[in-house]
Amino acid sequence: MPVTLRELRPVHVIGVGMHRYQFPSETPYIHMGLTALRAALTDAGLEFQAIESAHVGTTGCGMAAGRVMFRHIGSTGLAVQQIENASASGSFAFANACLEVASGVRDVALAIGVDKYGDQKRAVTKEGINRLSDTASVPLVKYALLCRTLAREKGLSAEDLARVGWKNHNNASTNPFAQFQKPRTLEQVLNSTRVAGDLTSLQCTPRGEGAAAAIVVSDDAMRSFGLNAARAVRVLSSTAGSETLPQGREPGSVIAARDVALRTYREAGITAQDLDVVELHDAFSIEEILYTEAFGLCPEGHGHHYLREGRSAIGGECAVNSSGGLIAQGHPLGPTGVGQIHEIVRQLRGENGDRQQANARIGMAHMIGLGSVAIAHVLRKD
Amino acid sequence: MKLCKPDLYKLSDDGRTMLLRAARCSRCGGLSFPAANYGCPLCGAGPECCSEEALSGEARLLEFITIHGKVAPGITPPIVVGEAELAPGIIEEIELAVPEEALTLDMIVQAVPIPIERDEESVLACRFIPKGAL
Ligand SMILES: [Zn+2]
Repeated sequence: MPVTLRELRPVHVIGVGMHRYQFPSETPYIHMGLTALRAALTDAGLEFQAIESAHVGTTGCGMAAGRVMFRHIGSTGLAVQQIENASASGSFAFANACLEVASGVRDVALAIGVDKYGDQKRAVTKEGINRLSDTASVPLVKYALLCRTLAREKGLSAEDLARVGWKNHNNASTNPFAQFQKPRTLEQVLNSTRVAGDLTSLQCTPRGEGAAAAIVVSDDAMRSFGLNAARAVRVLSSTAGSETLPQGREPGSVIAARDVALRTYREAGITAQDLDVVELHDAFSIEEILYTEAFGLCPEGHGHHYLREGRSAIGGECAVNSSGGLIAQGHPLGPTGVGQIHEIVRQLRGENGDRQQANARIGMAHMIGLGSVAIAHVLRKD
Repeated sequence: MKLCKPDLYKLSDDGRTMLLRAARCSRCGGLSFPAANYGCPLCGAGPECCSEEALSGEARLLEFITIHGKVAPGITPPIVVGEAELAPGIIEEIELAVPEEALTLDMIVQAVPIPIERDEESVLACRFIPKGAL
């Protein structure tokens, strides 16, 4: 039987940092990456020399981005690897850092996501297989089609969809790291530019760039560096999967998301009802509604009621995307999954200011990447 | 006129409809679309087990919407796209050559050749229209 993360050495997030997500600019990725890294080191109370390995999630920086960046903070000889897994690049970088510490091969590992808005070249274009519709590999279209079906079958309204954008834009409005920091009204979200079907632009993730970093350590490192245990957040599970053969019209991404969420609960020894905060892949508003159901935060078919009743708002049962999510904090791809860890760690430490979910103790970061791949981590403040 | 995506479809004998090029697997008996040269997506058998099987191009329309933004290269919005069942269990995204108002759920649609301009050349694309309008 394979072992789970929780059965290995305890892994703690001890430091997190970010460079604000922003629209594509001339800012060098090295500046953004080092800003996030220095913030994470300060947060941890560590020097760069202590980092034994770095896992760099990026999609648009080009080959070998890590060393080009790290030589401006110290050529310490640390192990460096680059991970590209579309939207989930940063999440997989974090998973690898956790697994290294858990397995015992490292005591201090860094996950860093950094990205520029790149050429977005996708391997699917090299498959050599056409599709009947040129939109067939565009997830937005698949979700917009599903919105129409759910409107008919479950009474999901255009206003329900807009409500996700409304909540997440307002969450982001007080988040200094968010790409959008403007409070929005429901009407503004509803009446923004129509993109596909009932989905409007303020319900869709923007193009962007930025950086996020998280440092994970073992118990041994906590002791030897004299780190502040009161600020450590334990990583209970790290679980990944990908799509299975489609059955009917349910998107493969939703099936994979559900499977990974349920497995990660088992591995972490929790249930959905234990979650106080969740960051999830709301590239499009409908996804948040579908995933809150798929994750068991509410019954199937009740995602829009759960949202309407404020149960996923900050102060509700479980704050979903308190950062603003992909819609409003932004989605620079490489950093996104690490940015989720940043938000959850701050929530669980009680350091999240205006966006603090009261008494938050357990959180989940859940990400989808093109393909689709899915990955989730459960974190707990002991 | 050349076909826009000849790997996916071919003209029927009378030239009024498009036949879709699917693949049948001799190991599992499963049908897949589009046909690919890599093997059977259902059971993993090698490409030597897959042979072409033409579908009539008739499909059941499961959903449809209008795309307003330029969400993919090669499209000129607004366009109407849908999901349709091409054969039992094979659900694909399709482009429709009629406005939303001409469509109803579960209606039978038919793949037909429609001339379009691509790379400054006229080619025949595969679009779907209500079967009754044929
Ligand atoms: Zn087969």
